[in-house]
Amino acid sequence: MSWLAAALEWQSRAVVGRHLRVYIRNWHTAFLPPAVEPVTMLVAFGVGLGGYVATLTWQGRPIEYMTYVAPGLLAYATFMTAIFQSLFAAFIRMRYQRTWEGQLTTQVELTHVVWGEVLWAGLLATMYVVIVSAVLIVIQWAGLLALDLRWLPVLWPITFVAGCGFAALGLCFTAIVPTIDHMNLPVFLLVLPMGLLSSTYFPLEHPVLVALNAGNPLYHLAQVFRGILIGGPVAGHLAGVVGLSALMLAILVPLDLRLLRRRVLGD
Amino acid sequence: MPALLDARSLVKHLGGRRVVDGVDLACETSQIVGLLGPNGAGKTTTLRMLYGFLRPDAGQIHVNGVELGRDLVRAKRAIGVCTQDDTFDGDFTVEQNLTIAAGYFRPRPTDLARRVAELLERFDLVSYAREKPETLSGGYRRRLMIARALVHRPRLLFLDEPTTGLDPQARMGVWDLVDGLRAEGLGIILTTHYMDEAERLSDALTVLARGRVVARGTAKTVLGDLVGEHVVVVDAGQGPAVAAWLAARGRGEPASVLGALHLPLSGEELAEFARAFPSLRYEVRGPTLDDLFLKLSLAP
Repeated sequence: MSWLAAALEWQSRAVVGRHLRVYIRNWHTAFLPPAVEPVTMLVAFGVGLGGYVATLTWQGRPIEYMTYVAPGLLAYATFMTAIFQSLFAAFIRMRYQRTWEGQLTTQVELTHVVWGEVLWAGLLATMYVVIVSAVLIVIQWAGLLALDLRWLPVLWPITFVAGCGFAALGLCFTAIVPTIDHMNLPVFLLVLPMGLLSSTYFPLEHPVLVALNAGNPLYHLAQVFRGILIGGPVAGHLAGVVGLSALMLAILVPLDLRLLRRRVLGD
Repeated sequence: MPALLDARSLVKHLGGRRVVDGVDLACETSQIVGLLGPNGAGKTTTLRMLYGFLRPDAGQIHVNGVELGRDLVRAKRAIGVCTQDDTFDGDFTVEQNLTIAAGYFRPRPTDLARRVAELLERFDLVSYAREKPETLSGGYRRRLMIARALVHRPRLLFLDEPTTGLDPQARMGVWDLVDGLRAEGLGIILTTHYMDEAERLSDALTVLARGRVVARGTAKTVLGDLVGEHVVVVDAGQGPAVAAWLAARGRGEPASVLGALHLPLSGEELAEFARAFPSLRYEVRGPTLDDLFLKLSLAP
């Protein structure tokens, strides 16, 4: 289980520290997307689609569509941030910038590079969700939402765990796609369908989707966030997020290592 | 006092092929060991095992007395690596590349600010300190790569083809730096395709072919053992007669370069050759490592 212990070793933290330093240096461009994206999404889905839907029933009670979609937006931001970071940004560092190769000539090993990418994607997703949370506070202050915002900070550690799980999934594709153009395959065949069919922006009650979503961490994440911010069952979905994320990490990180060992080290 | 590097009986299979087959290599303080061989000889794989990038299937590597397989992290603290391709961090400036690299080592390099300033000065990078590495010329990029490999004060430095693609002036600049590092006590493992570089810089050579060590020692010893004392250069028009003469002595086809045959011969053979072809015009010169490469690449 040395691959697991490596997550806590200083080398993994050094890799995360490197990514954080780049992020902080580019804060003005890095800050903008998570701040603007929820506003766009809330306008498009909340005001636009919400104009037709107005209210819907959730957990047996009517709620405004805008209020329904806001927690879904946080879950969607977690998923997209972590998966895109581990798909595109990690691929660029591995293939084009050769940052990984430079790190591997030091005391950092491939296990640390992989954990560094996973932990960084989880941390970045959390930072994005914190920024989106701030935007939601402003929107609620404008009277457009009815969320229980006292519990917003509770979402952040859950975001981190789920983000790490999603990143482990993204790294699998990073390890196997031949070129960056091939990223279209996971993006259109998995990421977008998963992002939109997980009850993030609208409730999906088709029996097939309900059955599929039982094993979908993003669905459970959206439901946990709704349970916390709107009021509803949390425990079952929280167990779903934590359990599925742990399972993804336990299965996919060793797989990532195996695939990347071949790709990066040629071993 | 243990050798800085002591590698024994290294074996590595890649893609089902035995690419390194029982290689031994050692390097002492203030010594440059040139690792040579034609493409596919196993140089890069050997080097990657030595600096901990790949795990050997068999054999042992000790760096500064620490076995790499037992305590990789501790062993790597004593190693600096300058890879063949530029692997600096393009998100940071030249100066930041040095500080970021230092962050990947424990114990952390002491007095880092001074160390970085010293390296920038020494490698003539002061005026580029706040530039991004991609704005540097090829020669300065190599300087940055070597400076980065030294930021944590290693005792053993791996230089994988450090001057490939550089103009002659930049190459000589790198040679001076490497020579200075040896004088300071670093052990250096150098791979290169430039024969003049290997001959001028290396204290000892190890020659690989098909994954095995085929010769080791000084350039002179290696050439004497593998090539011969002299090389006769004769017009390729004389090919059939010369080939027949060589075949009668159980020798294979000579190397052909730009319409000339290059025949490595011992002193005795040279005398026989002169007797056999009294009216032939030919040139006799000393062997070079180019002849060695030609011979190794022609070997079955």
